Amino acid sequence: MLLQNAIADTLNNTEWAFALAECVHIGGFAVAIGSVALVDFRMLNLGLRGETAARILRYTELWTLIALLFVVFSGVALFLSQADIYRVNLIFPLKMYALAAAFIYNFTVHRKVATMENPPPVLSKLVATVSLLLWVSVVFGGIFTGFLV
Amino acid sequence: MPTAHSIQSIGFLTAFSESVLAYPIVLSIHLACIALFGGMILATDLRLLGLTFNSLTITEMVTSLRPWKRVGGTIMIAMGLLLAASEAEKYAPNPFFWTKMIILGLIGVHALIFRPIVYSKTEELDQSPVIPTKAKVAAILSLGLWTTMFVMGRLIAYWD
Repeated sequence: MLLQNAIADTLNNTEWAFALAECVHIGGFAVAIGSVALVDFRMLNLGLRGETAARILRYTELWTLIALLFVVFSGVALFLSQADIYRVNLIFPLKMYALAAAFIYNFTVHRKVATMENPPPVLSKLVATVSLLLWVSVVFGGIFTGFLV
Repeated sequence: MPTAHSIQSIGFLTAFSESVLAYPIVLSIHLACIALFGGMILATDLRLLGLTFNSLTITEMVTSLRPWKRVGGTIMIAMGLLLAASEAEKYAPNPFFWTKMIILGLIGVHALIFRPIVYSKTEELDQSPVIPTKAKVAAILSLGLWTTMFVMGRLIAYWD
């Protein structure tokens, strides 16, 4: 509670703090989603065909994880700064469900199929498409949280 | 600002900015493009710097992502212009918006300078034992320009 108030105070009363938290939040998800999308584009055979999806995943997974940490920490700070508004927001819980789904999917199904030796092409494409849709739905959820209150 | 007023009074732009759904949908598409295609720009720049994706050739990195960057960039700019035009009176006096537009122009200049010597010469870069300085300069400038572009975009909302 004390921590919540301290974070809320800083973000609401310092001119640049909220803007900075938002920049980190949006920049973080751009890197997180962008790095996952590189694997997805490879799985969809749309680019980077000179390397396997498994190898692209190895290159990008640390970026995805670090970026997601930034997104979550800045997101929690943004939430706490206006917790009362988010608690009654109709879209916000949907965004959280979409985020949870995208997160779990990314580190289970997506990872499993991306690292398979010879996955059926249809399976790869399906898994990559679902991945892109899940992550983009989180972006839509974030924007709509701000617009439909 | 009579010009700004007449821009945002264009029928479909007024309808757009007043719509409950259209504005956030277009903004979401704008941001999704930043994530998807910004990631590709970032990956290409890091490859040019030799920091990652080193088992892929620079040629593959640049050419296989190029069509998607073009598609993504076009959608991103079109959506951005739609957002700005629909609230032209709010954007016209906003210094962050104009800084963003100047950066967009500089990104065009960057392309004009570096396309002939870096992005169209990727095979030459791949044959070089070390990545030539011009490629690294292009990558660092690209990272700087796009990051500034991104931050200015966010700051537009904070000016009043």
